[in-house]
This record gives sequence, C-alpha cells and structure tokens, in this order.
Amino acid sequence: MKRNLQKVMSILCMSAMTLSMLAGCGGGSGTTTTTETPAATEEASTETATETTEETTEATTEESTEEATEETTEDTSAAADGEATPRNETLYEAGQQWGTINDWNPMSANSNNGLAMAANESARELVYETLFMFNSLDGELYPLLGSEYSWNDDQTELTVKLNPDAKWSDGTQFTAEDVAYTFDTHVKYQSSVGADFSTYIESVEAVDDTTALIKAKADNLNPLKVTSFLNTVYMMQKAYLQKVEERNGEDADAVKQDTMEDMVHTGPYGPYISNDQKAVIIRDDNYWGQADSMWGKLPVPKYIAHTIYKDNAAGQVALSQGEVDVCQQFITDVQNLWLEDGLPISTWLDDAPYGACEVMPSMFFNTEREGLDQKEVRRAIAMAVDYEQIIASAMSGQSPTFDEYPRSVVGPTDGERKYVDFDAISDLQWSNADVDGANALLDEAGIVDTDGDGIREYNGKNLSFKAECPTGWSDWNASMEIVAAAGQNIGIDIQTYFPEASSFYDDMTTCNFDICMWSTPGAGVMNPYSKGMFYFSEEYAKLPSNWSGNFGHYMNDDAEAILKAIPTETDEAKLTEYYTELSRILLEECPAVALMYRPTLFYAVNESVWTNYPAADDGRNIPPTDCTDGYGIAALYDLELVQ
Amino acid sequence: MKNTIKQVFHSGKFLFGFIIFMLILLTVIIYPIFVTADPLAMLGQGNFFKPGTYASIEESALSKSYTLQIPKEFSKLEAVLDIETRAEIQQFLINQAGVAESEIDVTDAEGLVSLWKANYDQNTKYAGLTTAKRKALKRLDNEITAAMKDSGVIIAEKDEEGNLKQSKVIKDTDYVNIKDVTTKTFVLGTDNFGRDVLTELVAATKSSLKIGLLAGLIATAIGLLLGLLAGYMGGLADNIIIFITNLFTVIPSFVILILISYSVGDSARGIAMVGIIIGITSWPWTTRSVRSQVISLRNRDHVNLSKLSGHSMFRIIFTDILPYIASYVVMAMILQISSGILAEAQLSMIGLGPATTKTATLGLMMQWAMQYSAHLNGSWWAYFPVVILIALISFSLNLMNTGLDQVFNPQLRD
Repeated sequence: MKRNLQKVMSILCMSAMTLSMLAGCGGGSGTTTTTETPAATEEASTETATETTEETTEATTEESTEEATEETTEDTSAAADGEATPRNETLYEAGQQWGTINDWNPMSANSNNGLAMAANESARELVYETLFMFNSLDGELYPLLGSEYSWNDDQTELTVKLNPDAKWSDGTQFTAEDVAYTFDTHVKYQSSVGADFSTYIESVEAVDDTTALIKAKADNLNPLKVTSFLNTVYMMQKAYLQKVEERNGEDADAVKQDTMEDMVHTGPYGPYISNDQKAVIIRDDNYWGQADSMWGKLPVPKYIAHTIYKDNAAGQVALSQGEVDVCQQFITDVQNLWLEDGLPISTWLDDAPYGACEVMPSMFFNTEREGLDQKEVRRAIAMAVDYEQIIASAMSGQSPTFDEYPRSVVGPTDGERKYVDFDAISDLQWSNADVDGANALLDEAGIVDTDGDGIREYNGKNLSFKAECPTGWSDWNASMEIVAAAGQNIGIDIQTYFPEASSFYDDMTTCNFDICMWSTPGAGVMNPYSKGMFYFSEEYAKLPSNWSGNFGHYMNDDAEAILKAIPTETDEAKLTEYYTELSRILLEECPAVALMYRPTLFYAVNESVWTNYPAADDGRNIPPTDCTDGYGIAALYDLELVQ
Repeated sequence: MKNTIKQVFHSGKFLFGFIIFMLILLTVIIYPIFVTADPLAMLGQGNFFKPGTYASIEESALSKSYTLQIPKEFSKLEAVLDIETRAEIQQFLINQAGVAESEIDVTDAEGLVSLWKANYDQNTKYAGLTTAKRKALKRLDNEITAAMKDSGVIIAEKDEEGNLKQSKVIKDTDYVNIKDVTTKTFVLGTDNFGRDVLTELVAATKSSLKIGLLAGLIATAIGLLLGLLAGYMGGLADNIIIFITNLFTVIPSFVILILISYSVGDSARGIAMVGIIIGITSWPWTTRSVRSQVISLRNRDHVNLSKLSGHSMFRIIFTDILPYIASYVVMAMILQISSGILAEAQLSMIGLGPATTKTATLGLMMQWAMQYSAHLNGSWWAYFPVVILIALISFSLNLMNTGLDQVFNPQLRD
C-alpha cells in the first residue's frame, strides 16, 4: 500500500507540475480577460475625479497651494505606508527603476536611482538639474539653470550666465559658487564625473553670483567635452555638500556612499515614497522654474510614480491596462497594442521603427584574444551575421536596416550622417549575411579547418569564442544567438553566454571576454565624436575599469590621431574627412560591429489618463525621452488629462 | 515472459499510455524523413508569424490569373465599416467636425463615407483627440480610401530611366491557383527567431526524449547500484550509503542541478551533458526505495539457500534479488525519464539548458517564447503546443507506470 501511495503521490506531483506550467504560461491570456473589469472601473473613476479636480484647481489660490503642500508633507508618513496617490495627479513610468532606491547621490558609483538620476547627455531633470538641457531632435542646448554660455576665441574659457531666478528647494539662491563647488567636490572625491572631467577642465570659478567661468586644460584642449559639462553634470548646493562632507569626515568613500536622502535640489520634484513596491517623487510647488524666465508654470502631474515591476512582461501588462502612462521598455510587436488590441497606446512614430533611433548596440571583439587579434576573423564574423534577421526578429522590426543606413561610426540621425562621405566607403560595406564572402576571406587568409572537425584553426587552435551579454536582456540575447548561428556557417564556434548583469559588467569593463555587446553613447553635444571615442579611444582602453568604450582594447595610431584632432576642428569639410576615415578603419579592421540601430530610450505612452505627449508629427520639437530626460521634460508642462 | 507481456498489454491504462508515447515517438522518427529542413533555420523575418500557408506575393502577381465571377458577400466598404467603426466615425463627426447628429445615418455606409470624406482631413489637428485616436483615425481614413477605390491594383516596373511603367492591372475578380505559386505552410506558425515551430517542436521532442532517457538511465543505474549494495550488505556500507543518500534527499535536487549546470558553463552543455547532469542529481529516491525492497528480500529462503551454497555476493544480488525487483526498477525508470524531461524544461526556462543555436529542446522553446512575451501577444502557437507535448509525454509515461504497477502488484488489481 505504501508503494501505491508513493505512486499516487508522484503522479499527483507530475500533474501538479504540468498544470503549474500550463497555468504559468496560460497566465498571459488569463490576465487579459480578467483585467478588463478593473480597467473599466478605473476609467469611470478617473472621469469623475477629473471633473472634481478641475473645479478645485480653478478655485485654488497660491495661498491654498502652500497650505496643501504643508499638508502633504505632514501626510508623508501616511503615504509612505503605501497609500495611493490620486491617479489623475500621478504620472506612472515603467522601465526606469528596478528596485528600492538606494541613494540620491549624484557622486555615487553604484546608484540604482533610475527614477531621478541619469547623468548622461540627455540628463534626467526631475530632481537634480543640469545647467542646460540637451534636445536630441535639433542637437541644441536649451537653458535651464544656466541662461546662456559663450566660448572665448581660442576655446580655453567657457563663460556661463546663470538664471537669476534659480533657487534651491530650501529657498536659497542658486549661485555660481554652487557650480564651482559642485565641480571641486567631484574632483576632490574623485567620483566618476570628477575623474572624467578633471582631465579636460582646469577649474570652475565663480566670477559673480550669476556668472561661472569654466577654464579648459590648455594641454588637453577638448571644447566638446568641456561643453558637455553643461548638460551632463547635476548641480549640487555648496552649503549642503559641506554638510555631507562634514558628517562623513571628508572621507572619499563615505561621501560617495552617502545616501543624501535629505538633499537640497533645484528640480521640480522631490523624494516622496520609496520602497520595494514603488518609488514616487512629489512636485515641489515652490519650484523656481515657475518664474517667467523659465517655464512660467509648474509641471502638470503632482506625482511621478514608478511601480517596481518584476520584469518587462509585468511592465508591459501594466502599460496595456493603463496602469502605466510612459513605458521605457522594449515591447515585442509593439504595433499590435494599437492595431490589434485597439488600445490608446502610441509610440514616437506610427510605423517601424516606432522610436527615434540614435544609438548602435555593437559587438566588441577582444583584440587581445588569439584569433580575434586577426582582422580577417573579426571581419568574417561581421560579414556572416544576418543583420536583417536581428533587426526583424530580435529587435521586432524596431530599427532601420543597414541597407537604409549603411554602417559607419555615426548614428542614423541626419545631424550625424552629414559628417561621413558614404560613397567613399561604399566598397567596404558588406551585404547582409555574406557567408560566402566571409568563408572566402578566411580561406584566403589561410585560416582553414585542417583537422576536419568543422571548426577552423588559427595557430593550431580551434577558433572558439564566447559571445556574452547580460541575462534577461531579451533583444540582446536573441541578437547574440543570431551571431552564434552565423559562426556555425563559417566554421567558427561561437557560444552564447548570458551571465548576471553584474558579472557581465566585470567582464566587459576589465576586457575579460571574447565577444561582448554594448551600446554607443546616445545623441549629445559631443556626437558623433563620442561615438568615435566609443569605438577607438586608447584612453578608454587604458582605464582600469572601463565603462566608456573600446572594450576590446583595439589600438590604432591613425584613429587615435584623428580623435585628438577632432575636438578643436571647426571646419566641416575637415571633420567629414576625419569621420569618413574613422568609418573606413571601423569597417576594414572591425574592432567592433554595430548590430542594429536603437533608440536611447524606448517610448510607448498610454493615453487613458494623460494625453498630449510628444509625437514625431506634433511640431513641438520635444524629444521622446519619456518626459523626463533633457529637453524632453518640457512635455511634463504640456500634459493634459484625457477628457 | 511472454505471458507477462501479454498481461501488461491487457492493462488498459498501460496500453493507453503506450499508444500515446508510441505516437509521439513515431512522429519524432517519421516526421524528419519527410521534412528534411533544418529545424533551427530562421525563415521568418519577424516575431511569431501566425499559423497558415504563406504564398509568394511576387509570383501571385506575375503568374497566370483566372477570372472568377464569385459573388461578393459584402462590399469592401461594408467590410471596413463594422459597427464599432461606424460609431467611431459618428463620434468624430459630432464632436470634432460639428455635424448635427440628425444628419448622420450610421446604417447607410455610402452616406457615412461621403460625410467622412467631406469633413475629415489628415493634416488638420482636431482638438480633443488623443494622439492614439488621431493616429487611429488616420489609419481608418487610409482604409476607407483603399476600400472606396474601384477594382484594380496597378503593377508597375521601372524602365531604364527609372520611370514607372504600368505592366499589369490586377482586378478584384482575378484569382491565382495556389498550385501555381510557391507556398510555405507553417502548421504552427513561427517562433520569435522566425523558425518553423512544428519542425522545431519535433526536433525538440527528440532531444528532450534523449535527455530524459539518458537522465533516467543514469539515475536508475546509480540508484539501483547503491540501493542493492546498501540493502544487501547492510551494516557500515548501508549506513554510509544511506547517509549520502539522505544528504542528497535533504538538499533540493533542483538547486544542485542549477549549481552544476551553471558551473559547467554554456559551451559544454550539450544534450548529453544536460542529460548526465540531471541523471546524477535525481537518483536518491530510487536508492531509497530499492534499498527497502532489497532489505525485505534478503532474508527470504531462496536467498539464504544461495548463501549457504556459497555463491558470491554479486551472483546472489544479480540472480536472486534483482529479478524480484526488476519490474519495480522498470517502473521507477519510467518515472525518472518523465521527471528528466521536466527537469530539462525547467533548466532551459531559466537559461541553463543546451545552447539555443545548436539544439532545439522543449524548455528552450518555452524560454524564448516567454522572453519575447508570446503569452502577452496572444501568440499561443509558440508555447501552447510545447506545454501540451510536455504534459502528454509525462502523462503517457505515468500512465504506463500505473498500468505496470497494476499488473505486477496483485494488491492493486481490481
């Protein structure tokens, strides 16, 4: 009988397992049916809520708003317990924040605060602000804390005028002293920003309260890099920084690890709720930007909230249910959301590639590995890859093809493409999945299969490489699989390897890989120069922990000389010559190969609560940076509730 | 022996499971004979093409056309204007274009369309419309324009100067015989890489069965050996073996499985390696049950008789004990095979299975379907057949096991 029981139990277990698998997979279709009801009720409730808020907003005066803020600050503890923020005052984001916020420190090296901070060319301007905002659509800098900037004639000094209306969240004036102290602190404690900029900037000085003077290093002149100080570095308050230094005893590690939860900031939002369920920032109704010299009003949503989702799929479900307004996630066949499901969801463009593609996720070859130090091997792999398959399936069609935009060091935007003479390098381009060409190239170079195992040898050793990128990054993982499939066609053994993100970062930044994948910098004041640096910079390669580019340690003196010359060059014809030459080296030597084009940020918006998001054809010149980054934050001031 | 087999096949449960399993096995063997295509070839450029037959558009346009006067059930316009669309148009006409509600007759398609055409302009920015709505109306306008067009699509070719020259007009009465054009049928559509799901599924079942068989054999072999030794020898040997077995039973074998798979690395994880890894982590319960069976057997008279006759230990184990538990071992192995297949699916789903580009396995198919959120897109063909197949294999194996149990264990007979 015991045995019998065991049998029955094991059968029960099996069926339970299979059932759970069924349930796990059928879950998707299950949710879509069950979600209809809550979505409907939510719509109804927002409608009524909208009416009431409209009445109240009309009635409120400045005094009452002040009172309201006081009330809400008192309420913070209650809200932190998980009380919901009103839906019609909250803008929900997805795809930026993947865990409990660990700090608010712009100097931190391991901050996960994606909701508030992203100090790249289009910096996230919600909590901290930069001097200027970058607009990736026209490549211009727009004033924020700074009102204007000018270079002196020999490009050694950059004078920045500050907006006299700019104030800190504690009500004090934002001055040039703060700009200078921000830079000095970054350098003093050697944060990554400090280490980066101190090689190009001699000093930042306060001329008077509203004028800051940035002096470039004369022996390492790079006006492009110095200009990027304006739109990538978050401004911090001198008085607050001194407080932080004091409480950490001026210890570099302690200062960089300070959580800065009590920070003083200039941006329109401040911390509100942060736990493992969601992160919310709340509007500062005394925000200086409501001065006429800046926006003239406050951003529309009172709260910006980010639910912490388990994975992309959870975020996507929330988007389709209208629980998320702005979604920074890769969505397979995104067009089906409106074409087939009829949801009020749209992207930047109505047709493929749906987003504003700016960057090129590229695979780097480790040129220090035997086999990959041969340019024929690198180029053969590059030629054999089926890029159209990567674009169509791995990227779900959300990228233009390499036929439309041939390969080069520059991205797919017109502003960058004018710097390359594509006719001059057309003979170096290869056709898609050119397996025959790749085989011929390898045969010619004498890299053949001598022992008959189907794998070519170099120096008597099988060519066998690992192509790696972080696990769970589905479009990248699929791309690497397609690269691996290409390897099979040309007798090179390529295996995919998808470790956890942290161990991938270790491998990539220390050049401990065969083939790895990373994305070029997005649009910015330094582009396409920063893309050139990304592919070729020897300086980057020499960094002990290299996050910037040239991960495969490819050294080319010609490329290096060009990279040195570009920053100070202003003649466009000369620049075109430089970038064309860089592209030629890139295609000939293949130290890295672009696999697809991609937007810096994915952008899909659901208009069930908010509307008037930026769209490509609305003529407002606001970039699709999820209403948070660079000049894209301008969208927050134009949002409207759906009637 | 013959009698036993006869008895086994008289069991309805066993027979049912056996038939299902054989059908799966036969498909796996026969299908590749007819379909020789590489199951991993990426044919479709895009994600999750739906099941059906795909015909070459170029050939259809160029091949001989037949004129068929098939009465249309409804006009093209009627097809575009379903009830929802009509309501949408009405809403637009009232809210944005300011047409009086009394002027609109939604039942009259022609009238509705002419009102639409008179009032809608793609380039105008209408107030009170969300971007999504604005884009939807634009698409609707394009659809209406296309539906209103009289019959005929013009095929044009570029001449030497690059000018377009009309070469053919396709009317709505033109048909093409499907035999004249190249077609490709995807019975179960394609997956996220554009691979034929059915072909891949057959190949995947094959490798999953291989993995399951290998894992089952290894687990049973180890379990049987240790169980026999522990049970028969007793004493210190028994203590040591059962100590190790308990250790492995207490630690969840799936955790060990994950750790070993991870440390082996991607490159080495082929079908054989995964099978071996699963096999060497799932033997403990076979050991325990074999041991207890042997303990009950070792004091039987015929065993004692053999001992008195001076037979060696191995001879006693293999001739006097093993035959008595053989039926049990076979049943245990069937269960091990079934759990081996499930273990592979679980491993692959967390990305620790064999390499995607080299083999297809059921678990890998599930993993990629999940990664590309097939379950959210309604692309059921990418994951549902896989789930069904995994369930069917386990179900048939378990059914066979229960059937065998009834035959060999008289206590269970009805």
